[in-house]
Amino acid sequence: MTSLIARLRTTKQPTNDDAYYTAGQFVLIKNRFARKTSGVIAGWLLFSFLLLGFFAPFFAPVDPSIRGADASYQRGAPQAIKFWDENGFSLRPFAYTYNKPEAKLDFSALLSAGGGLDALDAMTESGALDSSEQNRYEIRRDQRRYLQFLVKGWEYQVIEIEALGIELRWNRHLFGIDNGQIHIMGTDEDGKDIFSRTLHAIWVTVSIAIVALIVKLMVSLLIGGTSGYFGGRVDSILMSFTEAVRVIPAIPVYLACAVMLSSLEITPTQRYFAIAVIIGALDFAALGRRLRTHILTERNQDYILAAQLSGASSGRIIWRHLVPSFSSYIIVDTLINFPYVILAETSLSFLGLGLTDPTNSLGVLLQKAQDPDIQQNMVWQFFPVLIFVVLIMAFVFVGDALRDAADPYSDQKK
Amino acid sequence: MTIKNNQPLLAINNLGIDFHTDEGQVSAVRNLSLELQPGEVMGLVGESGSGKSLTAKSIMRLTPGNALTHKDSSIILNHEQHNLDILKLRNRDLHLVRGGLVSMIFQEPMASFAPAIRLGDQIVETMQIHLGYSRQEARRKGIELFERVGIPFAEQRFDQYVFELSGGMRQRAMIAVALSTKPKLLIADEPTTALDVTIQAQVLDLMLELREQLGMAMIFITHDLGVVSKIADRVTVMKQGESVESGTADRVLFQPQHNYTKKLLDALPHLDQLPPTPKETPEALVKIDKLSIRYPLSGGGLGKSEHFTAVDNISLNLPEGQIIGLVGESGSGKTSLGKAILGAAPVSSGQVSFTGDQPFSFSHPKQIKRKEFARIAQLVFQDPYSSLNPRMTIRDILAEPLEALKLTSSKEETNQKVIEIAKRCHIEVNHLRRFPHAFSGGQRQRISIARALISKPKFLVADEAVAALDVSIQAEILTLLKELRDELGITILFISHDLSVVANLCDHVCVMKQGRLIEQGSVQQIFNHPQQSYTQKLIRAIPLLEKPVDRSVTTTEEVMIA
Amino acid sequence: MLLDTLTSFLTDTWLFWVLLSVGGLLFWKARSSQYFHYILNRYILALITLLLVSGIVFSLMEVLPGDCAEKIMAYKNTQGESISQADIDAERVRLGLDQPMPVRWLSWVSELTLNGDLGYSCAKRQSVNLALGDRFWMSFWFCIAGLFFAYLIAVPFGILSAFVINQPWRDHNPHNSKLQRGVNTLGLTSNKLLDLLLRMVSYLGLALPNFLLALTIILLFVFAGESAPVGLFSDQWKSEPWFGDAGFQTGKLTDFLAHIWLPIFVIGWAATALQQQTVRALVVDESNKLYVEAARARGVSGVALWVKYPVRHSISPLFNSVGFDFQRVFNDLPIVAVVIGLTDAAALLIEALALTNDQELAAAILFLVALVVISMNFITDSVLAAIDPRVRKSVLAGGQ
Repeated sequence: MTSLIARLRTTKQPTNDDAYYTAGQFVLIKNRFARKTSGVIAGWLLFSFLLLGFFAPFFAPVDPSIRGADASYQRGAPQAIKFWDENGFSLRPFAYTYNKPEAKLDFSALLSAGGGLDALDAMTESGALDSSEQNRYEIRRDQRRYLQFLVKGWEYQVIEIEALGIELRWNRHLFGIDNGQIHIMGTDEDGKDIFSRTLHAIWVTVSIAIVALIVKLMVSLLIGGTSGYFGGRVDSILMSFTEAVRVIPAIPVYLACAVMLSSLEITPTQRYFAIAVIIGALDFAALGRRLRTHILTERNQDYILAAQLSGASSGRIIWRHLVPSFSSYIIVDTLINFPYVILAETSLSFLGLGLTDPTNSLGVLLQKAQDPDIQQNMVWQFFPVLIFVVLIMAFVFVGDALRDAADPYSDQKK
Repeated sequence: MTIKNNQPLLAINNLGIDFHTDEGQVSAVRNLSLELQPGEVMGLVGESGSGKSLTAKSIMRLTPGNALTHKDSSIILNHEQHNLDILKLRNRDLHLVRGGLVSMIFQEPMASFAPAIRLGDQIVETMQIHLGYSRQEARRKGIELFERVGIPFAEQRFDQYVFELSGGMRQRAMIAVALSTKPKLLIADEPTTALDVTIQAQVLDLMLELREQLGMAMIFITHDLGVVSKIADRVTVMKQGESVESGTADRVLFQPQHNYTKKLLDALPHLDQLPPTPKETPEALVKIDKLSIRYPLSGGGLGKSEHFTAVDNISLNLPEGQIIGLVGESGSGKTSLGKAILGAAPVSSGQVSFTGDQPFSFSHPKQIKRKEFARIAQLVFQDPYSSLNPRMTIRDILAEPLEALKLTSSKEETNQKVIEIAKRCHIEVNHLRRFPHAFSGGQRQRISIARALISKPKFLVADEAVAALDVSIQAEILTLLKELRDELGITILFISHDLSVVANLCDHVCVMKQGRLIEQGSVQQIFNHPQQSYTQKLIRAIPLLEKPVDRSVTTTEEVMIA
Repeated sequence: MLLDTLTSFLTDTWLFWVLLSVGGLLFWKARSSQYFHYILNRYILALITLLLVSGIVFSLMEVLPGDCAEKIMAYKNTQGESISQADIDAERVRLGLDQPMPVRWLSWVSELTLNGDLGYSCAKRQSVNLALGDRFWMSFWFCIAGLFFAYLIAVPFGILSAFVINQPWRDHNPHNSKLQRGVNTLGLTSNKLLDLLLRMVSYLGLALPNFLLALTIILLFVFAGESAPVGLFSDQWKSEPWFGDAGFQTGKLTDFLAHIWLPIFVIGWAATALQQQTVRALVVDESNKLYVEAARARGVSGVALWVKYPVRHSISPLFNSVGFDFQRVFNDLPIVAVVIGLTDAAALLIEALALTNDQELAAAILFLVALVVISMNFITDSVLAAIDPRVRKSVLAGGQ
């Protein structure tokens, strides 16, 4: 009986599936990737992060620059969004009103004591001058502020492509609140909204990584490709150079370059690109070597010889055979390297040599975590850290799953 | 002392195995039943994917994790008058069938020994597990075994690593490991396939000899009926997971019932039905003049530059419109010669010239005008997997020469020519938009041939073009090659290590040994009246069908002794 | 007199003679042995790479602002001398800084190869060798310890991970009883979860940048109300000698150990992620090879099978990468050093690069790290070629 079932099942053989047979390499990679649950979950997470980052102005309720700083809510704790409280249930989510209490500092005491240092000491000890004490806000639970959706706010660029003259501007935001601003992750010492800053920082950091990886790719292709295609003496010279670059620790080298950059007078945007280019340009060793090996093995494959014997020119062989053979590989390698590049950027920013404060990058936001004041009084400023860790983890898991899927033809060879 | 026929050593009943894949369940073995008496040799014959290896592995419970055995299957092994159901063994009891009562010889001895562990240690380990020997004892016995299987300098070899041995010696060492535990049943999975013909014959003789001395039962898995006829008492033919024919070796091999068996038998060489010698020798199409190929050897101490001579001063004329066989063992330089004729290997000295209406000659690959030469000569590769770019559709692969040589003026014309050649090579036209991963080895080889033919060359080099294929597929490809010769008048240089294929296909045969051409002539001459002793040795080593008359007698005696 | 000249000549050029005699010895051996031929090749390659590294490092340092003359003059300025541009130029000529870069590089390299002199740090106004002193070794041992820690975690976890995803006896056989299927499904799921967990833990080391990790740990100490293990010693033991009046001071050792684990843990965890990936991939790769199946067919099973076959064969490629792992660990050390307040070479490097623009010191540290990496690569190559038959095979066959 069971064997009968088994026999029936064999009719459902995958071999009759034309879709599989006519699938090109990227479809095969996609199919293999789809089998890894952890990779797929990480992939969706990553995708939503990138979406949030790219359209940060839309998703962010508050302008992250100093213009949007909330002077009435500096160093403020996250404002909870609620659906109900003791005053009843509401379909529209709401937050409370936060009021800054009147300064409790009793300067009269200072005056009455004749301005003596003892009085000042006493005041310091009481904690009245302590920043945490200064910025404690009163929650008015009776004053609800309701959340609004697609509100009008500050104007921003959705997309700008200068070359085509396309510039799309909008001023709607996904959500906001009536009566002031909503700070779901609190504010920093200038009153800038942490949540909005983090969203904007994601894209800045990722775009640095993208620029860096593109530069890295070009340099690696140039070095690895030249080395692999020409072989011989060119190969050995380039490879010993690569080997020498590979043994020098990278971060100190970035540091030296960043120091050099800081001595130049450049605008923040230029600085931003320069850092990306440096990170990318100096990181060619690993990928360049692997591309070279790949080209060397691929060049000795029978199908390349077949193309040569068919009279195909070198250019044709490179474009029709060699480039497609490592394109998937390059894409995967690039994705795997994202976390490392992002980490390099944050390291530089941490040392104050990368981007600096008015810019929103994850590195800049992370750098603040070393401030003891923030560690003790504004724990919510660790929110970017959380986002950062999840982002990196998502990248690593996607890379992990892709690594296995990258070469769909590997298991078919004998 | 008679053999109890009702007590087989091994009885496989109703074995069914499915593969659990991501796309669903695929049946690999269905309803297989077979019995094996003590001391008997069973030949398990079939092509790749017929489930013969999987059956053998399930006897040792070594099936891969996604192979699911049916619940009603059983494999009964008779051990000390008890019937063991192998499929129900658990944990430590598995030792019984893994190395204890059953051992296995694998196809690739190189890959089956751990590369970083001494051969001796692997044998000693095995004996310690099953026989409980001490280290010294195991070592002594192991060296004895090495001597027994004919490994010279056994004591030194015992402490070497697998890569330090030659192919034949590796397989002997593998046999020694398999015999070290004195098994009752030996499973040999294509033990001679990866070896050269002459070494194949030696290993086969060794196995025959050991079988007679030790009297163990054997399951001999192979696709080669010639080998089976030499060694097996009974034969089971498998096709697509099912046993299509089973019986004594004489019956199956000489009175085959099933069409499939007949087809397999037809693929064997028939030295009495060699192709006739053509009446007149045609003009030479390709003239090879004093061709030598030397590769520089690196290593070997400092400052010495040594050369390895792959092809040594060969002069040869290839007659037009014939299929010329180039035979030799691995390392004889036949592939180098074939590639040199196509300008794909560095020629050290000598010249290759093509006659006919497009005369062409060269003495150095760099001089070749590829675009011109591509329309004269083409290559069909050995490995059907690496010779097709996996990232291009079949249509694009076939169209590449047309596009590269600009032979067609429009896309429609290209498509039309591609379809034309696809039909010629029996490729289904609606498969053209598929990618190579959709095809089996034989189909890929057709595509490879079609690609070679699309620029209408006059000369084709087929480098071991059927070596990677199953016998029945081989026959189809060989038929295709013959058709091409007869219908298109193409001259084919067919390079092969397999003399049986050459005997069925070629008109003219050249024999190479260590870079030298030692003999050439028509098929009739070479196979019936070989002059050189090397050629004679090669031909004697061909596994032909053999009437196992004398042998069956000895077998019975041996079994009774056992 | 002659003897004195000779002695001083030899002490001035000792390193050169050492390098030369090692080369000569290898060359002499290489004439008869393929193995030494290979080692000689590696040795020459390593020296060439070192030369290239020195070139790269030297030219990199050119981009840092300021030079020696400016620094010395600036120092003199603080001492009350008034300095003009002409003085700086004169000082430049005196120090040979007006020479083109290749000339200065050559003199640096020759000083280095002749007697191991790494140059003179103008910012610190002392020889680089002295300024570095034991600090380089401190960093070195930090990295080694971090690496050791990473291996300690990554190797067993990587093997476990590979083992867990590679259990052939757990199947989805629909012919099994419901119970058996349930058990198998449960087993497979828990294995996958375990694997996921192991990967999560190791990747977290990567995703949490080092400085954050160090900060978090320090923060935890702060919250717990204890003093954080910053630096190498607590204030109490900082000035105490190792050997006090009453012999060896165990207290200092305990204090040292209580502080030292933090940097090792932080840099070690970050290195774990990559290591574990590598180990897992290697072991999975090896366990799919035919010889493992052949060993199973001979009756080898269980732990013996795993330890003797896939694991044992994965060790040498892992061992081969020690040099680059060291480099990767050192890469992370400077930032950790800044956060934790260490005073090793990595901290000096940051100081030299970011604060004092001390090109000579920075170049020396980078060069020394590269030297360690290259030597490690040379040693692993030589050792592997000697003990691993697979490597030996390719060495003997290829010559390269």
